Amino acid sequence: MSDSSITTKGLTKVFGHFTAVDSLNLNVRGGELFGLLGPNGAGKTTTVRMLCTLIEPSYGSATVAGYDIREQASDVRRNIGVVSDGVSLYKDLTIEENLKLFSTLYDLPRAKAEQRILELMEIFGFREKAKRLVNALSSGWQKKAMICAALLHEPRVLFLDEVTSGLDPQSAIALQDFTRKLCDQGVTVIWTTHYMGEPEKICDRVGVVFAGRLVKVGTPSELKHSVSELSIVEVDSPGLSTAQLDKIQSFDNVCNVSYKDPVLRVTCEHHDDLAEDVMKALLAIGVRIRGVVTKEPTLEEAFISLTGGEEEIDRFLESGTHGK
Amino acid sequence: MLKLLRDTLAVAGNEFRQFRRNRTAILISLVVLPLFFTFSLGAGSGGATTRFSPTASVPIAFIDNDLSIDSGRLLQSLRSSGDFNNLISGYREDSALAVLGTGEIYAAIVVPAGFQSALMDNMTSNIVLYADDGEPGLSDQISLTLQNDVRNFSPKIEVQATTNGFTQVEIIQKGALFTGFNLGLVIVLGVVQIFATFYEIAGGMAREREDGTLARLLVSPTGIGSILLGKTIFDSVLGTIRTLTVLGLAVFLYGARPNTDLATIMVASLIVALVTMGFGFLAAALRVGPRAVVIVEFFLVLFLFAFSGLMIDRELLRGISREISYILPWTYGFEILRRTVLVGRPLFSLTSPLLFVVGATILFYVASYIIFVLARERISF
Repeated sequence: MSDSSITTKGLTKVFGHFTAVDSLNLNVRGGELFGLLGPNGAGKTTTVRMLCTLIEPSYGSATVAGYDIREQASDVRRNIGVVSDGVSLYKDLTIEENLKLFSTLYDLPRAKAEQRILELMEIFGFREKAKRLVNALSSGWQKKAMICAALLHEPRVLFLDEVTSGLDPQSAIALQDFTRKLCDQGVTVIWTTHYMGEPEKICDRVGVVFAGRLVKVGTPSELKHSVSELSIVEVDSPGLSTAQLDKIQSFDNVCNVSYKDPVLRVTCEHHDDLAEDVMKALLAIGVRIRGVVTKEPTLEEAFISLTGGEEEIDRFLESGTHGK
Repeated sequence: MLKLLRDTLAVAGNEFRQFRRNRTAILISLVVLPLFFTFSLGAGSGGATTRFSPTASVPIAFIDNDLSIDSGRLLQSLRSSGDFNNLISGYREDSALAVLGTGEIYAAIVVPAGFQSALMDNMTSNIVLYADDGEPGLSDQISLTLQNDVRNFSPKIEVQATTNGFTQVEIIQKGALFTGFNLGLVIVLGVVQIFATFYEIAGGMAREREDGTLARLLVSPTGIGSILLGKTIFDSVLGTIRTLTVLGLAVFLYGARPNTDLATIMVASLIVALVTMGFGFLAAALRVGPRAVVIVEFFLVLFLFAFSGLMIDRELLRGISREISYILPWTYGFEILRRTVLVGRPLFSLTSPLLFVVGATILFYVASYIIFVLARERISF
């Protein structure tokens, strides 16, 4: 991996009295697949829009592909590709017409543009749909068309903002694989999502964003280990009653209990002997146990822990102040 | 510079590609609007193929107190002009004045005693027009048309030889020369350009912002200038087509006879379109949404009807209305249209209105550009 592709220093965006992004300090290396993970309204899209030069930061600075987003905005735009819900193709044009338009705006020589368009059409399976209006495509195909347009000029940095929402699982997986390959070719990708499973699978590093702040940055594994105080036990125990579950919930140090028959999942903080204690307690209230497994925390659990727990997230989502 | 030109043409080409797929837009912009306004004004002007005269069927009393050959010939001349088909000669002066204002008659033309002898003595002869104060617009119209017609009146040879024609006849009211559907042409050109252009620019930009295509352009290396110029080129072409449509209908259907050449009409019409485009970009820069665009357009057209001299001569406006008319760039745009189409003034002789309207256009464009550049996020989403 090469040097820093994106650097932000105290990047902040304030809308009126609401701080959407609060003093973001970030370093993304060239060719890295970097995930920005956070719930809706956490500030991911605002961050992307600032880095794309679509909105002006209130404070702080940032460089993208080596160019300052304020002073060299035009150079930034020349070197980035963006796929985001707020950035669309012309729906009254065909995919081919859209790509031709943008090849002109990106100053691609005609011969190179035609070759590149064919190449992208081939990769994304657009050959038979090249003459179809974007409007006539399903949302999944529209998203693919947007990715084609974003890749047309071979950008050094690609922003994929909630790119898998609206895609079927197969397309989402194919896109994840494709993105991985792009990074292997040296393209830096910022992948923003609120789906916790995605960054865990594909990202080199993940930045956890919550309420406008970057809470933690690390590889998925580092993030999970950073919350290693979490202990998780899964018990194979069919047919538990509500009364039994209430009783388990009232055990000391238990943070969270979930039950999907027959799997009972118990999460605790700072509890080294969780499995043993849970077993004892369950047997004491007459629960039938078929097996017990100790689990590592998932990225979702790490996220919940890093952002102050489920109650904090619920408060944030319900407060309604997180939207612009 | 080359990049600006290339991007501008790309944006304009993109507008055309989208436009050609949008049958509704083609229909409304190039067919419905020009036809609607031309037909509606033409139909209200006496119907197709006939000479337009708004006073033709208005009941007007003709009181001949001279009872001379010349006064009789004047009556015949007015009746045969097509402008006064409903002249009623049974009234006395006092009975006519008694019913004036009731709607029975709308004016009374009085030929005073001594009319013919005054002409023969090479003296000025007056005819008196009593108008209905309750119908000021109509009264003006009657006065203007009457003044026109008496000028064309040919007296008997012996009279003409000694009287220097009817330049000696004075009418007690003044006004501008009315020129049939030429005035209708000016009104239609102005309204159609404003109606279509504002919606295409401000509405189009608002829709692009909502669809996210404007943001797509803004994350590319395309400059704001190329976006504005590209859309201007596109809309100028549409505006030119609209002008040709209106002009064709006005000339071939309603017998309009513009007193200037085609190129001047095209340029004058484009001047009105360009200032409206600038205003449309300003509305877009101020983030007027697609629904609000329709409301703004409605008020814009009403406003212009009231204050810009489009329907009511600016000179006839009083008080604050007159002051407003002076600051509206469209006032000067319409003035250019009127003076070229109606009286054949060369375009470049109209220095003041040209300077004002071009200045306002530049001001609108520069203001829009600055707002777009400074407040990118306002127009992106």
